[in-house]
Amino acid sequence: MSSVRGGAPRTGAAAQHRAAGRDPRGGSVGTGAGAQRDPGVPRMSRRAREALAAYGFLLPWLVGLVGLTLGPMLYSLYLSFTRYDLLTPPEWSGLDNYRAMLEDPRLAKSVEVTVVYVAVAVPAILVVSLAVALVLSRAMRFLPFYRAAFYLPSLVGASVAVSLLWRHLFAGDGVVNALLRAVGVQGRTWIGDPDTALYTLVLLSVWTFGSPMIIFLAGLKQVPRDLYEAAEVDGAGPVRRFVSVTLPLLSPLIFFNVLLTTVNAFQAFTPAYVVSGGTGGPADSTLFYTLYLYQRGFTQLDMGYASAMAWALLVVLGAFTAAMFATARFWVHYGDER
Amino acid sequence: MFTSHRPTRRATGVAAGLLALALAGCTGGTSVGGEPAEGATGADAGQGEVTGDIRLSFWGSGLRVEKTNGVSDLFVKANPGVTVTPNFGDFSAYFQKLNIEATSGNLPCVVQLQGRQLNDYAGKGLLTDLQPMVDSGAIDVSNIPAEVLDTGRGTDGKLYEVPYGAAYDSIMVNTTLAEQAGVGVPAEGYTWDDFVDYVQRADAALPEGVAALNLGGGLPNYFIEYVRAHGEELFDGSEVAFTQDRLVEFWTMWEQLRQAGVTTTAQDKSAEATQVEQSYVATGRAVVDNKPGNQLGQARGALAGAAPGQELTTIQLPSGPDGSSGTVLFTSGWSIPRTCDNVPTAAAFIDFWVNDHEANALFASNNGANTNTVELDSQLQDPALDPSTRHALELYQQIVEDEPPTVLYPAGYQANFETAFTRAYEDISLNGADVRATAETFIANLNSALAAAQ
Repeated sequence: MSSVRGGAPRTGAAAQHRAAGRDPRGGSVGTGAGAQRDPGVPRMSRRAREALAAYGFLLPWLVGLVGLTLGPMLYSLYLSFTRYDLLTPPEWSGLDNYRAMLEDPRLAKSVEVTVVYVAVAVPAILVVSLAVALVLSRAMRFLPFYRAAFYLPSLVGASVAVSLLWRHLFAGDGVVNALLRAVGVQGRTWIGDPDTALYTLVLLSVWTFGSPMIIFLAGLKQVPRDLYEAAEVDGAGPVRRFVSVTLPLLSPLIFFNVLLTTVNAFQAFTPAYVVSGGTGGPADSTLFYTLYLYQRGFTQLDMGYASAMAWALLVVLGAFTAAMFATARFWVHYGDER
Repeated sequence: MFTSHRPTRRATGVAAGLLALALAGCTGGTSVGGEPAEGATGADAGQGEVTGDIRLSFWGSGLRVEKTNGVSDLFVKANPGVTVTPNFGDFSAYFQKLNIEATSGNLPCVVQLQGRQLNDYAGKGLLTDLQPMVDSGAIDVSNIPAEVLDTGRGTDGKLYEVPYGAAYDSIMVNTTLAEQAGVGVPAEGYTWDDFVDYVQRADAALPEGVAALNLGGGLPNYFIEYVRAHGEELFDGSEVAFTQDRLVEFWTMWEQLRQAGVTTTAQDKSAEATQVEQSYVATGRAVVDNKPGNQLGQARGALAGAAPGQELTTIQLPSGPDGSSGTVLFTSGWSIPRTCDNVPTAAAFIDFWVNDHEANALFASNNGANTNTVELDSQLQDPALDPSTRHALELYQQIVEDEPPTVLYPAGYQANFETAFTRAYEDISLNGADVRATAETFIANLNSALAAAQ
């Protein structure tokens, strides 16, 4: 049985192994070659060799996963229960960091800023990306150019250079105010005003709608034409066709994009860091959760607290993802359910 | 094989060095250090063989890196068998990188620090006391004024940093606009009250779109200088020493100026770029601002492009009511971490940096005025020195003559004072928070954060 499981053919070599009382799984592979090997050297079955090869190829990734992701994650979980200033060894402090989080007004502010950002930016990104995808799904001249042009910002949008550019665009004497002045509108210092600074970052994120747009575009191509034709025959107008045909068939992709865009928005960091010069200002109006986490860890040298914040974020994102999956069956329609 | 000679080494140091050379034999390195101080010998006193590799950590880019590497090359040339590995980064990320290196016990042997962060490291026992190396002659600080050298001391009084460059804040004035407004430049010895009166008078006669003063209520240095001008201490050990009333007075002064339209708006101040070239005073949008004295050249260059024909100058900060100087020195210098395994070479490098004439001529006060008075005089005698640098260095000399106050920054200062101060004032100027309540909260939070950082 074991030789069958091991995939080794019942050759003479295998029979010899059995006769010698050895484990045939370490026996011959192939046809006849094993018979010429030194019988003292254990030989592997095809499956064992394949497994070994697979693990060999996996090894670099496994080392990365354990050494660079799981290991540091578990260590940060430990650090979240300590007082650790980077410069001296961590001291166990139990739940102190988690308790302090409940009483930290800046943490509350950072949660408020992040929730507003997610609540405004995510729907805006999805609406804009779907709208542009709908336009680009039609036949028109220079279509590949438009697709590339609309996708381009998402390649550079999260970069430091674009964040700096944004800072200049929305400064008091920036391009945006110059354009407004040209049409007779008095501008303001968009990035210096706590009432508007966050929304300049929302605009930056909406501008980088390329990835969800490409996914929507692929989804729109998959919607069967005959459904539209049938709907049209039944008297459905463009809006009804969009609501009753397009949206339900796109719902798996909407689900995917909502999940991905939301998780990304919760983790937004670079634009706020660059536009506010790392402060989250003015007056903490762009203090994203991740930016505050960074400040606590690397500026205030409070790595225990920062670790606790990171784990709290992980739990919230995990809960959000679980909630999304739990509600998916009510609004996500997969093709095979039709 | 031993070719290293130090022209500035004291005679005893040279004699001891030669003796050590003879004892060390032909090993490819040199030895430094004079007679050891009582109780300090060997590596603790910076004595031993100068050989092998040291890593050098500093902030800066472009010209600063070029000049620092140039000095390192001169040191290597003077000390065969030594290599110096540079380790540099932008100032904004420099200390984060340093902290990570400290975490792993991997700090470079020679580390650049400022007085403001010194106690974050010294307080954790990460830095070596350099006094025994000074006493043994391994590091010669005899040309550095005592008040300047004191900025390299920790709160325990030990010397953890040899300051080599002294920066200071100054009041930068657009003289062209000030003359057009009929107010000129504030007279020497002007007080804070005079300063307020000056900017109010300037504001009354300025064109639309130009503010008399850039809003500075959230600038930590302004407040430090305001407190020192009033003869008070900033910190007493790890506790706040300035009073709540003083902070309320300072913020109220700024709020009155802001609300009267004398300053730039709070929104414009928040949006101002950090680079001096793009600052409002360097682009002709504000007449007066507080800027580091060594940025005059860059600001002049920027203003020449933004508002051709306009001129800038720098003067000392306002004095207190009794004439006390409010100008505080912010020095940069070299420290040796306790994890350094090549202290003699690290000490030799610092000594070379501070005292070697060729090295000082090459670096040319690139990071604040040279603290070595002999070398500073030498630079000022150079007829090719550009006018802005000459002005900045001469102003530094005046400041030192007035024996500027020293501020000892407790551990946790950098992390808990500077951005929190700016944020607190933004809360007042942008969100309309109550000045006294904000001051009370700020001081309470600062005290508890400083206590936790010890």
